[in-house]
Amino acid sequence: MSEVAVADGRTARRGRLGTEVLPVGERLDARRALQLSLAAIWLLDAVLQYQAFMYSKGFTQMIGGTAAGNPSVIARPISWNATLVEHHLVLVNTIFATIQLLIGLGIAFRPTVRVALAASIAWAVGVWWFGEGLGGVLSGAGSPLNGAPGAVIIYALLAVLLWPADRDAAAPFIAGRAVGAHLARALWLVLWLSLAYLALTPANRAPQALNGVIAGMESGEPGWLAAADRGAASLVANRGLAASVVLAVALVLIAVGVYLPRPAAKATLLLAILVALVIWVFGEALGTILTGGGTDPNSGPLLVLLALTYWPVAAATRPTRPVGTEGMAV
Amino acid sequence: MTPAWILDIFAALMLVVAAVSAARLVVARPWQRGSALLDTDVSHLLMGIAMAGMLASGLTTLSNTAWVVIFALLTAWFAFRVLVDARANGVRALAGGHCAPHLVHGAAMVFMFGALAGPAGGGGSGMSGMDGSSGSAMQTLRYPTLAFVFALILIGYSIWDIDQLSGRRYSTTPARVAPVAVAVPAMVGAEPATATLPSPRATGAAAADGVPSGSAASAEARPAPGGYGGGAAARGLLLSPATTVGCRIAMGVTMALMLLLMI
Repeated sequence: MSEVAVADGRTARRGRLGTEVLPVGERLDARRALQLSLAAIWLLDAVLQYQAFMYSKGFTQMIGGTAAGNPSVIARPISWNATLVEHHLVLVNTIFATIQLLIGLGIAFRPTVRVALAASIAWAVGVWWFGEGLGGVLSGAGSPLNGAPGAVIIYALLAVLLWPADRDAAAPFIAGRAVGAHLARALWLVLWLSLAYLALTPANRAPQALNGVIAGMESGEPGWLAAADRGAASLVANRGLAASVVLAVALVLIAVGVYLPRPAAKATLLLAILVALVIWVFGEALGTILTGGGTDPNSGPLLVLLALTYWPVAAATRPTRPVGTEGMAV
Repeated sequence: MTPAWILDIFAALMLVVAAVSAARLVVARPWQRGSALLDTDVSHLLMGIAMAGMLASGLTTLSNTAWVVIFALLTAWFAFRVLVDARANGVRALAGGHCAPHLVHGAAMVFMFGALAGPAGGGGSGMSGMDGSSGSAMQTLRYPTLAFVFALILIGYSIWDIDQLSGRRYSTTPARVAPVAVAVPAMVGAEPATATLPSPRATGAAAADGVPSGSAASAEARPAPGGYGGGAAARGLLLSPATTVGCRIAMGVTMALMLLLMI
């Protein structure tokens, strides 16, 4: 039944509608909040997978297209997968969507968070290969602006970093708690340096390369986003090398930022969030979700979420016991 | 095209939500003096029917205009509730209060019915079958950006609800909290309500019951008619806050799905 609005003052704040009095120390753990954000993105993925486009030949062509340029040992399984999907499109795509739905719901549902995170890692690695062609890293088609090194592999990385265990409970950021601060920093460094490297590959530093990537996203988008893409594309027209160098420098700064003192680290994390948002809006057109053909929101939101997992946390906010470890030794 | 049978599954889920909400209304007897209020369940009942009608090609319900009017009224009601909540509890209640998700649900329904594009938008039912056709061609929405924003918010609330539900923040039994008389506006059509102002002790009792303070169940100042005898467990579960939240999760996820399918 419904609720009655109540109260003011101190009591009311403690007993606000739709909330409950949480004993001190039981407020939402920062890692749990990040897990829930990851769950929300998985759920969004799942819902997008049920779209009409995913039940059309366009989807299988999209999968098959990721084989191009990859070594045959990588490309052959991709082609096999595309053929399988084409022959059993409705069944296979529905299974895909439902798996993602279960992963999203499973991460949000506390008793199954570990199982769901583990499943998400396995699923993400499989999709990275069979569905995204390793994000174009080996084919030379990957660019930080179009989602390289593959949005889905960032899901797996986030699942590892947000795993509900405390190997290093004193880590200065959430990502370090599950795998240790040193390894977490190394993973961050590798990711962002690889993005910097990809920004400088010949295909991406060509005079019209960035312009082409951005302008190519305009089709089918709502007016405001198409206009924004047009503006950004004209800004980098014939300035591919300069734009790539600027982007690469920013990415290198971001990569080393987690090794810097706290204020500088925060600044570089803010830069990471800004760059991720710029990539998401201008390079990825919000994952082309607004065209009805996006399979996922692409890498932008995941890079933002990743940056937040490295945000320095105060000692006082570090939690006591991770969700998903009830009744087990951590 | 998204297969019609998938949409039918979600339509069936919405009908289950509507049936559960109707059962809650019947069992709790909100028309009796002193009974708990009913806006959430009425909202879920209407939304369940309307969404099932949009999803399933074979279901014909009301006209789009009628639904827009109905959900606009519900949205206005929940907006009022959220404002009252915010005045009492601060601006955080605008997003985090109990009524905020219901407000978003209501607004999303108004948007869905009001922003249907093309001639298909003028008819009665059939997201998957325009005005009763048997195909699975989707109706589309004007303002896809707004649809996306609504979907994101709905997904966020659903994920939050699942977390809270699995964290046992919501009881699976009707709550019992001693009411403290504070007059506040209540439900349209309901008796003048006696709201529960949780004193620290009462609030603690609510929390001990696993019930969000000031939430649905906390308004139930006394056990529902019939006591807790035979069949009480099932009845208790039906009337529990957990059931309300479960319905809200199903509705939120389905609504997000519909919005994104109609982009």
